[in-house]
Amino acid sequence: MDIDRRNNVTVTGNPQGPTVVLAHGFGCDQNMWRLTVPALAEDYRVVLFDYVGSGRSDLSAFSADRYASLDGYARDVVEVCEALDLRDATFVGHSVSAMIGVLAAGMAPERIGALVMVAPSPRYIDDDGYRGGFSAEDIDELLGSLESNYLGWSAAMAPVIMGNAERPELGEELKNSFCATDPDMARVFAQTTFLSDSRDDLKGVRVPTLILECTHDVIAPREVGAFVHQAIPGSTLVTLDATGHCPHLSAPEATNEAITGFLAGLR
Amino acid sequence: MCRTGHQSDPPEADDEMASDAAFTALLEDSAEELYESAPCGYLSTLMDGTIAKVNATLLGWLGLEREAVVGRMRFTDLLTVGGKLYHETHFAPLLRMQGRISGIALEVKQTGGARMPVLVSSVVKHGSTGEPLLIRTTVFDARDRRAYEEELLRGRKAAEEAHRQAEADRARLQDALAVLQQSLLPATLPPVPGVETAAHYHTAHPDRLGGDFYDVFPVDGKRFAFFLGDVCGKGPQAAAVTSLTRYTLRAAAVHDSDPVSALTTLNKVLHERYAGSGDPRYCTAVFGTLEPDPGTGQVAIHLASGGHPPVLVLRADGTTDFLPTPGGLLVGILPSAPFVTATTVLDPGDTLLLYTDGLTEARTGEDRDSLYGYEALLAFAAGQAGKPPHAVIQALIGLLDGFGDGLDDDTALLALGAPAPGPATKNAP
Amino acid sequence: MSPLKVTTRDAETGPVLEIVGELDYANAGELRDLLATITLQPGQRFVVDLSRMEFCDSSGITALIAAHSLAQEAQADIVLAGVPANTLRILRIVGLDQIFTLYPDRDSAVRSLDERR
Repeated sequence: MDIDRRNNVTVTGNPQGPTVVLAHGFGCDQNMWRLTVPALAEDYRVVLFDYVGSGRSDLSAFSADRYASLDGYARDVVEVCEALDLRDATFVGHSVSAMIGVLAAGMAPERIGALVMVAPSPRYIDDDGYRGGFSAEDIDELLGSLESNYLGWSAAMAPVIMGNAERPELGEELKNSFCATDPDMARVFAQTTFLSDSRDDLKGVRVPTLILECTHDVIAPREVGAFVHQAIPGSTLVTLDATGHCPHLSAPEATNEAITGFLAGLR
Repeated sequence: MCRTGHQSDPPEADDEMASDAAFTALLEDSAEELYESAPCGYLSTLMDGTIAKVNATLLGWLGLEREAVVGRMRFTDLLTVGGKLYHETHFAPLLRMQGRISGIALEVKQTGGARMPVLVSSVVKHGSTGEPLLIRTTVFDARDRRAYEEELLRGRKAAEEAHRQAEADRARLQDALAVLQQSLLPATLPPVPGVETAAHYHTAHPDRLGGDFYDVFPVDGKRFAFFLGDVCGKGPQAAAVTSLTRYTLRAAAVHDSDPVSALTTLNKVLHERYAGSGDPRYCTAVFGTLEPDPGTGQVAIHLASGGHPPVLVLRADGTTDFLPTPGGLLVGILPSAPFVTATTVLDPGDTLLLYTDGLTEARTGEDRDSLYGYEALLAFAAGQAGKPPHAVIQALIGLLDGFGDGLDDDTALLALGAPAPGPATKNAP
Repeated sequence: MSPLKVTTRDAETGPVLEIVGELDYANAGELRDLLATITLQPGQRFVVDLSRMEFCDSSGITALIAAHSLAQEAQADIVLAGVPANTLRILRIVGLDQIFTLYPDRDSAVRSLDERR
């Protein structure tokens, strides 16, 4: 299988530098890292990709069974690492990708040597004595929102589906649809993301880990950041003065500074 | 929508001045007035989402006082939890990356717990050096539109579900039909010592039960019985006749394996069952017995036909001919019917071939306007003479395949042979 | 292929039914329906004229058998006139040549009954 094509893999930056893999979370695609890549490109080899079902991945490779668990996405990460024969790379994962990175590092320890977890949460739904911030009904509501915005997806994706890839205006349309995903695939990703429970996997992390959290993040509140920090032995927690769930977009300088500082400490 | 309609030109020049004055008066205090009471909600927030300015229309929808909102709430605080998640995972990143986003369906919370579907568009206002300063947002009432979209989605889901259900029903029906069809035929032919057997059933329509049948079974220590036939018509009613026919012949042979007796019993059963029903049903059939002679390797054949096309005998020496049974009547149309017997002896290497008229009535030619017929079958069979039963059946399967859509009827084939001296006996299904 | 056309007329000896065209699975039902409208008196002769029938498959044979039952129930006589060679061959294979009286054409079928009277 052509992993490069399946996951729309992009390699950029300094070919001689240590490798940093940037993994997007649920919702959009590798474009999320557009303000991060310039900060890394001079010293690091940067690998970007889209999960199957997101961005410009090969939609025909989607399997509702495989991606019904985070392990399926983690296997994709390992396969991307294998295809590029990465050793000791640093995996930067946003949101659900932070947990996918934990699983992938467990599967292929020789390939992933460090983790940066941006706004991570191992469990979104409240549980006995644990506050993730959401109830199961809230997640159903999100699925409803995905469905309501189906029509916007159709308009953006219709030319792609109809195979008019030669049309020059297509690039423009794609630029306006970073978050466009097939609704059925988005639904699977949303369910997998928000219904899984990876709390027990945190204990198994054996690599240097940086956790980035925001001061005001409705998806990953600070209690959750503290939980992750406490669960991963030897991890570092940095709280960014940022609002929302995407500090790499809303507070890029602070985010980049934290990441490059961590990477420098690894060398 | 937040757009004023296009005004047409005033019709009379004299009225022009007066109209202009009236419009000016109407529009005089428009800027603030339009903002506050526009038919859509307006909202400005800082880049962290803190609400800096909001119009009266939106406050009215929310059921909130301005003091409770400005400087105290963020935009996401107005949204339902699902909407917040969607905002954080899709809306906010897209707005950051593109500087604008339009027509996103969300729901705002109203005091009292109700939710109001809205369509939200936002643009980022940048400062002179390009730094983002604030977010301007319009909120449209989408209650009617959302109700309509939900109807569409419901309709789509119902259609998908109906389609899935129909597919499942169809698959289940196909399975049931396949099981029924199999019950009309033996799964495999039993081994017959000193005889080679082979059979084939061609189904013309997978979802239309056919009416051809055959079987081979032991009747006593020395002899086996066999039959092959064709029930008139197709579909479930024909299949019911086929089932009755198959089990009647097998039961009849238990008492008396004489071919004429077996067919006579079947004739009586079918006639009694169907003659007065207003839906006469009948069949054609060949019923016979075979008795192998271990000493000589010969097989004695004794058969009777009721309205069935004559069977073929393929001799090891290459001669091939029909074994005529003229005068045998269709089974089941009259209270008593004549059946005609024929006998032959198969020498080692000879094969007896039984078939139904799906084969001879296959339409051939470019326009599918002529029938394959008995002469062509005889010539084809002559080319197979000397071959063992399974090879003859294989050749006929090739012939049937070659008919393509000209073969529009079910076809049953049964070959019985006395093995030529040499390799071991083989039974093929 | 020619569509089926069936006409009936009354001769002195009884009804005469003429079948023109192809009698097969697709249209044998038409003939069966038409048979249901025919009334036969005891002793009458029901003549089925097949001289212009171009094709007959097993469904057609079934319709002819239905015609035979109809005549039997009414204690009437049924004859086939002008049976084409192909159909005659099928009738022989299924043994129906024994239960139908066959005449070369319609006129001889009608005449033979007159002579018998």
